[in-house]
Parts: sequence; structure tokens; C-alpha cells
Amino acid sequence: MGFFCAPAFFEEGWKRMLKYIFRRILSLIPVLIGVTFIVFSLLYLTPGDPARMVLGDQATEEAVTDFRIKEGLDDPFIVQFARYVYKAAFKGDIGRSYVTKRPVSDEILSAFPSTIKLAAFSVIIAICLGIPFGIISAIKQYSLFDSITMFFALVGLSMPVFWLGLLLILLFSVRLGWFPSSGFDTFSAMVLPSVALSAQVIAIVTRMTRSSMLEVIRSDYIRTARAKGQTEGKVIWRHALGNALIPIVTIVGLQFGHLLGGAILTESIFSIPGVGRLMVEAIKMRDYPLVQGGVLYVAVAFSVVNLLVDLLYAFVDPRIKAQYR
Amino acid sequence: MKRFTKLALLAAVFAVFTGMCAGAALAKDTLIVANIYDAKTLDPIATNEVATSGMCLHVYDNLLSLGADGAPVPQLAEKYEIIDNLTYKFNLRKGVKFHNGEEMKAADVKYTFERAKSPAGASIRQYVDDINTVEVIDDYTVVFKMKRPFTPFLMALTHTCGSILNKKAVEAAGDNYGMNPVGTGPFKFKSWAKGDRITLERNEEYWGKKPAFKTLVMRAIPEATNRTIELESGAIDIAYQITTNDLKRVQENPKLALMRVVDNSTTYMGLNCSKAPFDNPKVRKAVSLALDTVGIQKAVWRGVGKAPVAPIAPNILYAIKDAKPHVQDVEAAKKLLAEAGVKLPLNVQIWTNERKERIDMATIIQSQLEEVGIKAEIKVLEWGAYLDGLKQKTHDMFILGWVASVPDPEFAVSGVFHSSMVGSTNFSYFVNPDVDKMMEQGKALPNGPEREKLYKDLQEKIDSLTPWVYLHNDEQICGTQKNIKGFQPSPRGYHVLTNVSFE
Repeated sequence: MGFFCAPAFFEEGWKRMLKYIFRRILSLIPVLIGVTFIVFSLLYLTPGDPARMVLGDQATEEAVTDFRIKEGLDDPFIVQFARYVYKAAFKGDIGRSYVTKRPVSDEILSAFPSTIKLAAFSVIIAICLGIPFGIISAIKQYSLFDSITMFFALVGLSMPVFWLGLLLILLFSVRLGWFPSSGFDTFSAMVLPSVALSAQVIAIVTRMTRSSMLEVIRSDYIRTARAKGQTEGKVIWRHALGNALIPIVTIVGLQFGHLLGGAILTESIFSIPGVGRLMVEAIKMRDYPLVQGGVLYVAVAFSVVNLLVDLLYAFVDPRIKAQYR
Repeated sequence: MKRFTKLALLAAVFAVFTGMCAGAALAKDTLIVANIYDAKTLDPIATNEVATSGMCLHVYDNLLSLGADGAPVPQLAEKYEIIDNLTYKFNLRKGVKFHNGEEMKAADVKYTFERAKSPAGASIRQYVDDINTVEVIDDYTVVFKMKRPFTPFLMALTHTCGSILNKKAVEAAGDNYGMNPVGTGPFKFKSWAKGDRITLERNEEYWGKKPAFKTLVMRAIPEATNRTIELESGAIDIAYQITTNDLKRVQENPKLALMRVVDNSTTYMGLNCSKAPFDNPKVRKAVSLALDTVGIQKAVWRGVGKAPVAPIAPNILYAIKDAKPHVQDVEAAKKLLAEAGVKLPLNVQIWTNERKERIDMATIIQSQLEEVGIKAEIKVLEWGAYLDGLKQKTHDMFILGWVASVPDPEFAVSGVFHSSMVGSTNFSYFVNPDVDKMMEQGKALPNGPEREKLYKDLQEKIDSLTPWVYLHNDEQICGTQKNIKGFQPSPRGYHVLTNVSFE
């Protein structure tokens, strides 16, 4: 809040912020090139012929050879890599899927809405449940509530998501009939997959909140606040939580970025057409352009989320805001 | 008052929420079907796979379609004449409109097949390669000339690759045609949520019998249990690919019906005829005799499909249906191995991909082979790596499947037994000039008793040389709501929905 208060500082602060964002975006470039190189190498070295996978096992050998020539698959590695980077960087063309012939960007954009909805809902559920539970566990450390919460956190962390997903389907779709077991179009269809996927995230957020709060509660300024006669509520909410938020925001950001890469198991169980399924199918079919495009997308998405988290720090913690001065 | 409005609001929200949870009421005018995969494209020649074919079947028509008894019947071609063994003449139906309003004419037919022969049709080239020219005689008459006699031609016309395209629409859409199909079929393309569902709408100007319902929704639900659950809850009307585990549930549910038919696929264990000791037909025969294929099929597939007796699947023309089931004879196997001079124990590898049923079959085979002194190690490979590996010629035995997408005997055998296909689809590296000659003859003979006899002899000859141990013919199993009428699954693996009606 203090960030916006001083009018004289206003313009300079924004300029610095923009410079910072610009530098971060620039630093994406070596990341993207590095990621592309690694994926390219992996695909090149992996056995399996895209031509045969795409054309099917009844296609003639001629057709397979023609495909390989058309897509330049027999060219040397460096030629293929340079060609890809040139097209992507200077023409914005990351190719067409070998299988569907649609532009790779279209394929990813079709899958993106489902993935972001799933990721967002899971993270929201995790925040709404994880943070309060973590705070209360920290306040009431070693109590029964704390032990139960930590136990469930451990269970949530260890439970495989497909097992939990199937359990939820069995109970809520088959027995009770409250929610559909597949699809992602209506609100009710989003409930079960989001809950299944959020289990691990809730566990992580709860534990992180609890440990971060515990650390903060022990510090001197909290003791001062209490000594000053502040109500316990204000002590926790205003002073403790604000300072404890940095690690929590970090972990939530990491989880969200990770989920944006797709949640293949959840998507398979609940038939959600997200990025995870798209990528796994692409790898199975050796659909090189789609795999490369998908990995680029994940790298960009993760970097953007990291950038937003870093910017969020400034608004959350005055100590970090000060670094911008 | 304030508290009352709050409660009322809460109640309203709750009601809406429950309403949404209950799911949209199934309009009787919409047929919802669930398949295992989404179609890859709606361009009929871009790929050769079942989900795509299933959708193209409803958006397009062909010159000839597959009749109920498995023989081609006129569709867009009112009648046809076989002028000689290289020339076919088709008279087209008049006044048939494409979904964009254009009339279907001979020029569209010519365009369709020239496009199929172009690089765009790489996946289906083998079905149209023997077509030499397509001549437009007049607006409603087309003449096809073959390069050499090609009897499967009429059957190939019924395949998805023969879907008649509108030249204007394809050229206008360019590379995006796969998402904007225009055909003459009973359904028009409406929308596609990629990976989730395709929605088609009834073509009100259809030249033939119009479907009884307005909207067709094809959903992709990869998880088998989910398809069954959606069927049970009434969210879908028909579910394809019901698995062995869910068979009983659907059968015993009074609100559902189960429909099944043996399909055109053959799962087999191939032996590498180019590598010792499997280059000796006696050794191959010994392996076949050592195995109780009927028992293996029953144990692994638990009542689904059957154990084949010949390479051509039972619903394909000229399949051998009345042969006696395979009988295991361990003593005879041991004798043959001794005669061939094989040093026991023989160490071999069985390759397979990750499909659970194939791994299970390999495990039983492994234990049965041990009885005759063959020690087999099972190697499980990822699909892409598996196909690559088979090209290296170093394998001993491998489990694979073969489907005749065009149900003509030529396509059931030549891809896997002809010497020219070695290393491309013939992974048993089977080379026999007599068998080659018989297959080439069979391709050119017109349908009739002579062709029938040739394929029966061919199958017996292949059997005697034993490049394959036949393991399984799969079944197409579909579950439907009890009120669905007019649905019959096809051995092709994709099914006609145009005649479905609700009772």
C-alpha cells in the first residue's frame, strides 16, 4: 500500500518496475532456446519413427519415406534445429501437428482453457482450505487439531491422484449421483477433478503455512505487538500473516505453474481435454512439432507465473518493496 | 426482512446448484455417443484411424457404402458397371447437394480421387494406388481406369478414403479443411471442442433417409470405466469399446443393452523367419503345437472375441470359418524340435508392447514353451520403440495385431506376408515366392468361386509354413440404453448411427 502513497515516488517506481519486467522477459530467451535444444535432442535420440506412427501401421513404406523427406526428418540434427529456431523466432511459426495438420499454437490454445480452469480451481480450493488450516495449526501447535490436520496433510500428500479421483467418482458419481464423472463443460463437472487434484496442493500449502507462521510467531516484533496490548486477532492477521506470506506465495506460485503444465492423470480419469493429455498423446505419436511447442508453452507459462509471483512479493512485503527504491 | 431475502437468495443458489448437478435433461432429439478417442481430423484422407472414420461416415457419403451383409451397395452412385477388369463406370445420383449448397457432380469425384492419390493421402495410398485415371464423361458419369486388375477396388471405395469431397470447399479452406468439413452426408458439421466432443446436426436437405434425431454428439472418454459410468447414469446413449471388466455390469443392468460383433483384427505371435532356428518351418510348427492358443485366449480375454484358426479374420470375405480349432500337442512339438536338430534349451525373446492383454498372453506362452525346452524372456517395449526395433531383424518372436481396414482378403494378407513388405509391415520377414504369386493372383481375380478357392488354398499354405501363431480375434462391444433402436456395431470398428431412433 505504501507503494502508491508517495506521489513523487509514483512515476519513478513504475519505471523501475517496467524495466524489471522487461529484463525478466529478456531472460526468457536463453531459457527458451535451452529448453528447445534439450527437447530436440531427446526427441532426436528417442527410438520411434514419427512417419510410421502418424501414417499408421498399414501405410506403405513409400508413404513413410515421402513423409520423412517432406518434414526433413533425415536432415542432420543441427540443420533441423536451426530450421526450427529460425521459423519460431523470426516467423512466429512453431509448425503444424504431424497428426492433425493443425497449427501447433491452435492445438495448445484449444487445450489451454481446460488446463487453466483446472489449475485455478485447484489452487483456489487449496488456498481457501490450506491457509486457514495452516494458521490454526500454527496457533494451536501440538493440539489435537494440529495433529489431525498434519495427519490429513500427510495423507493428501501421499495419496495418488488417480486413486483419489476414482474414489471420488465411485462415491459422488456412481453412489450418490451428485456430480458427473467426466467432461469439463459445466460447473458441476469441474468439482470432482478440482478436488482430486487439489489434495496434494492443499497438503503442501497447509504445511508451508504452518511452518512459516510458526517461524514468524516466534519473532521479536510479534512479541512487541503483544506487549503493546494488541488483540491476538490483529497480531495474527496484520502482523504475523503478512510476514509469513512470502514462502506461501512462492509455493502457491510454483504449484500453479506446475499445474499449468497439465495434470495428465486427472485429465485421463475425468476425460478433460487439457494440455497434459495433449502432450502425452503427442509424445506417444512422436508428433515432434506438438511436443516441442508444448514444452515451449510450459516453459513460458512457468516463467510468467514466476514473474507474477516475484511482482506480488513487492505488494505483500514492505521489505521487498524497499528494494525497488 | 433482510434475513428473509438472504435465506431466499441462499435457497435459490442452492436450487440452481442442485439443478446443475443433476445434469442437463437428455433431449430425445440428441444422440450422445462416447468413443475411446477423439477424431484426429475430419479430412477423410489425412489419417487412417477408427475415430476419424467414425465421424467421416456421418458427414460424407461414398460412391458405394458397406451394406449390412458386408458387400458394397450403391450410395452416391446410382448404379455401376464393371466394363472390364481395368475399367469401372459409375452413374451418379442427380440433385445431391453438399452442405454448402453446391451440387455433387462428376468433377467432385475426379477431384476426390486425384487428391487421394496426391501426397495429402499418404496414410491411405495403398487403397488408391492402383487407380490410373478418373475420367469425367459428363456431369453424372465417371469412369475409373486401373493400372492393373485390382479386385478390392469396389470395397476400397466404401472406406473413408472414398468420401466424396467438394472441390470448392476443400480448396477454399486450404490447410484448415480438417476442421471445416463439407460433405453430402446425413449430418452437417456444427462444432468441435478438441479432445472433448464433436457436434453434428441433421442435414435437412439430405437426399436419402434423414436421421430420426436432430443432433449427434460424439464424446471422447478415454477411461473405460468412465464410459460405463456415464452410460449407467444416463448421460450418454451409446458407449463404444466396453471392456471385459465392465461386460457383466452392462449385461446385468436392466436399463442397458450390450451389442457385440467379432471385428476385422487378428492378434498374433509372429516368428522371425529370417533368424535361426525360426528359418526352419518345422521349428515354427513346433512352437505352434506347443501352445494351447484356445486356452490362452480364454484365460486372457475371458469370453471376449475368439481364438482364430486362420490369418483372415472371420467377418472378411473368404475367411475360413469351418476349420477345426487349434489343438495343443506337446509331444508332436518335442518331436519336431528334435527332428530339426534344435539344441535345447533354446533361449529366445518374446517382444510385445505395453498392452496388458499382450503381456498376459506372453506370460502364458512363456510357461507353455518351457515344457518343450524353449526358454523365453519377455521384453516389453514402448510402442514407437517397438516398431523401430522390429525393423532391426534381431527379434525372435513378437506379439502384434493386424487390421484389414478395407475388409477385402487382399488387405488382410499382403501387408503381412508379401515379400515386398518385409521390414515395413511384414515383421515376420516371411518370404515365399509361391505365396507371393498366389497373393498377386488373388488381387487380380474377380470375386467368385475361383478367388474364394485361391484364398482358402493361400491360408492353408500359410498355415503349413506357420510364420504366425494366431492368438485372438477381437470384438467390438458397445453398450446402449434400452430405448435405443436401429444400432448395429460393425466389424470395421466404427458404427453407423444414422438409423438410430429412440423408442
